[in-house]
Amino acid sequence: MQASRARLFKEYKEVQREKLADPDIQLACDDSNIFKWTALIKGPSETPYEGGVFQLAFAVPEQYPLQPPQVRFLTKIFHPNVHFKTGEICLDILKNAWSPAWTLQSVCRAIIALMAHPEPDSPLNCDSGNLLRSGDIRGFHSMARMYTRLAAMPKKG
Amino acid sequence: MMQEESIQSTSSCSEDSNPCPICLGPIVQDSYLDKCLHKFCYNCIIHWTKVVTSKHSYKLSSVKCPLCKAENFSVIHGFDGSSFQQYFINQNYKHGFILSKAHKYRLQCYYTEPGFLSDIFNVSRFWKLRKYHQPNCWLRNWLTREIQALMQEEDVNIIVHHISGVFDSFMRRNEQQSRKKTPEAKEEEFQALISDAARPFLAARTDRFVNEMELFLASGLNIEAYDAVYKQRLGWSAPGVTSETTAQEHTEHRPTVIPYLYIFDEDSDGTD
Repeated sequence: MQASRARLFKEYKEVQREKLADPDIQLACDDSNIFKWTALIKGPSETPYEGGVFQLAFAVPEQYPLQPPQVRFLTKIFHPNVHFKTGEICLDILKNAWSPAWTLQSVCRAIIALMAHPEPDSPLNCDSGNLLRSGDIRGFHSMARMYTRLAAMPKKG
Repeated sequence: MMQEESIQSTSSCSEDSNPCPICLGPIVQDSYLDKCLHKFCYNCIIHWTKVVTSKHSYKLSSVKCPLCKAENFSVIHGFDGSSFQQYFINQNYKHGFILSKAHKYRLQCYYTEPGFLSDIFNVSRFWKLRKYHQPNCWLRNWLTREIQALMQEEDVNIIVHHISGVFDSFMRRNEQQSRKKTPEAKEEEFQALISDAARPFLAARTDRFVNEMELFLASGLNIEAYDAVYKQRLGWSAPGVTSETTAQEHTEHRPTVIPYLYIFDEDSDGTD
């Protein structure tokens, strides 16, 4: 408990210090609870998520960093490895391949990489996975683009 | 040695620019994975190996480095400039061996200054009077215990065999040409031969080991008697003296002993 708190505090300081280092990621800690974080990440360019801003919610366990944080999308996203309803993410480093050397910041980077490189063979969103596996790249793109417009882009005045 | 100094200078706590990858704080008790040599706090990396091994029903013998994913079999820690300790991921696998009190006492002897007993056992007399012609039937057992303690390994037969073989052939050669060489030359030859034989196994502790072996041979005592003399000088074992506080009092009066008593978790009364 103490160890996880100390480590999260270190990460908090690092995030404050390098706020502008990675413009694609804005990490923020809950005002009253250092085990709850949110992040805003920018959809990677040359993907259907480009131009969108996606919100992530982190729930950090007390055994962190020996156990991975739980992360999910709060913003709706059409992606083979993200559950369409719950926002749950299927990513090996958040499960078996977790290493305590990962930080919340680097997890965000891994999620951005996953957005750019979906793994349709281990889908949480079967519709999305099936489109990609059947080779319907255009269909996948237009669906993902539509949801990015609907959910992840600020409404134009 | 330059390398040793640079490692030691950071041993208590490293500057913030190179924090422990697990706690992100300054490294406490520098510990290295044996293959990739990435550095962590002792507690952090041990906790992590325990988390990893507890997830498997069978005994793991290695863990992946949190930084580079290299498979590592042990954690190297407690580096003091000449020796280190090793924590094996699968503790049954390589290290079923737990040091006995006698082994711990021998290890502590290595923290005294060389020449610690030179006023009691006269080494040069041993060479001058050619006392080595009397075979020492305790040497093998003494070597076994010594090497077990230094290597923290139970099965050291091959090494003992090797070193005593080198020693025996040295003796045989000496019998044939004993008149030609001065005692000093013989001693030098002994030291060179034994340290060559032992160095691959004992590394930085080789030189001291050679001294200890020479001392034991020169004493002409059996192991029990030799230990009794040694322990008396260490200040711990006049019969009836058992508590550690007394041992410490004694060591305070004897500045030649560097008390590394923290290694021991039990009273070191040395009754065995």
